[in-house]
Amino acid sequence: MSAFAALLWKEEKALFTSPIAYVVLVVFLGTMGYSFTLTLFLTHAPSLVHIFYQVFVLFLLMTPVITMRLVAEERKLHTLELLLTNPVTETEVIVAKFLASLSLIVAMLALSLAYPVTLAIFGQPDWGPIYSGYLGLFLLGAALVGVGIATSSVASNQVVAALLSLSVFLSLWIIDDFGHLLPDPFNALVVNLSLSVHFTPFATGSLYLSDAGYFVSAALLGLFLAIRGLARR
Amino acid sequence: MSPVIVVEQLVKYFGRRPALHGVSFTIADGEVIGLLGPNGSGKSTLLRILTGYLAPSAGRALVAGLDAQEESIALRRMIGYVPEDAPLYDGMRVGEFLTFMARIKGLTGPAVSAATAAAREQLRLDRVFDMPVGKLSRGYRQRVAIAQALLNAPRLLILDEPTNGLDAYQVIAVRDVIRALAGRCTIIVASHVLSEIERLASRVMILLDGALLTGDALNEAQPEQRYRLRIAGAEEVALASLSSVPGVVSATRAPPDGREPPAYVVAAGPSAGAALAAAAAGAGLGLAELVPLETDLESIFLELTRRKAGALAA
Repeated sequence: MSAFAALLWKEEKALFTSPIAYVVLVVFLGTMGYSFTLTLFLTHAPSLVHIFYQVFVLFLLMTPVITMRLVAEERKLHTLELLLTNPVTETEVIVAKFLASLSLIVAMLALSLAYPVTLAIFGQPDWGPIYSGYLGLFLLGAALVGVGIATSSVASNQVVAALLSLSVFLSLWIIDDFGHLLPDPFNALVVNLSLSVHFTPFATGSLYLSDAGYFVSAALLGLFLAIRGLARR
Repeated sequence: MSPVIVVEQLVKYFGRRPALHGVSFTIADGEVIGLLGPNGSGKSTLLRILTGYLAPSAGRALVAGLDAQEESIALRRMIGYVPEDAPLYDGMRVGEFLTFMARIKGLTGPAVSAATAAAREQLRLDRVFDMPVGKLSRGYRQRVAIAQALLNAPRLLILDEPTNGLDAYQVIAVRDVIRALAGRCTIIVASHVLSEIERLASRVMILLDGALLTGDALNEAQPEQRYRLRIAGAEEVALASLSSVPGVVSATRAPPDGREPPAYVVAAGPSAGAALAAAAAGAGLGLAELVPLETDLESIFLELTRRKAGALAA
């Protein structure tokens, strides 16, 4: 096992032995199960578009809980000093934390596959928007985890990290409403920072490279800032 | 012996606050160095720079020829570091923690279990090997912290306040471990406890306010010889007669110890004993005892810090 694999194992173990992962999973599945059932009975349509929007909002609210402790806790407990006086780089440490947190997002999405399976059993869903919706949620999750780790790496404690992440996510969610009020060309610039503007095509079955690029860029920018934050000592 | 550590004009600022300024020294292979200084003197900052964890603001540190900043990954492969207060992963079991640390130190395959087994035996961790780290006593925590530092058979072992907060038995146990390691690698032990350093180190460096006061306290300081005298008679007369002896730096009344006549402590040149006795007799005082006191690290430390304060005042 390489040093990176050991770091990844440590992060996975820390995440999945903490109550946070299970509380997040239970809240996610409970909320989504209720929404899915209600939407299905109201619309009688084999579609997950509404569900994808609700997962989008839940991810905005839950990702800060997943990422808040990642760096802030290690900094507070001084275990970063123990870690970074060994032959591992800041990049390895951050990427291991990123992948471990992303694995919880993937687990949430994997467990939610029960909904399309149910639709397939009792109806004939259009699979295109379902595939693109899940891809969009995965990319959204990666972006949120990346930004969440960045805030955790600059925050003095977990609560501050969570609140900072939540502020950034909520701002990026509604920033397009503000952007539409601005004159040309600032409106397009600000509207394009919006998470919901880039997520909507995925949820409705349209795939654009620019939308995928937005989420990947946000994730990479978050990782870069987290690495810089870790190097700041 | 060739130097394993070369530190040149090391400067470190935290914002505008200087933590180290112009620290230079060398350490030879196999030495056991005691790094002494009061809290806040820059010991931990210096050690963190040597491990590559902190970047210096100016100057450089070479460990085994590797620049601590430019080649820090290669450097970290050959050092073992025990941070202050032993920060460990409390959620892991001891064996699991040591295995994890061995892997991030670059060990693979059978080398991992061999290294953890050796550390387990050396630090006598059998009783707690399957316990969660968070449930360990402070003494065992410190042992686990030292065990992880030994997993890669380091060429340089750095311990920051290794006996901080331990009880007397735990201090002895940790001291024994460090003594057992002497000769196998170069060791730097930082502490603000003089007696600890005195018992462990072959050379003592003293840091004060971010500056290196001395690189070899035991040999460089050359403090005055101290004498304890028990003299019957008026205190003013006794102090005046003792202070009049050529070479006397200071003469003070020792704290009362319930014995009579009262004791005085005099710092003077190494051959001032006879002159002190003659001065007491000449003043008509009754000299009951004259004992040269052993020069310990505490007196050296006090003498050096007194000199520094004097130099600053001048």
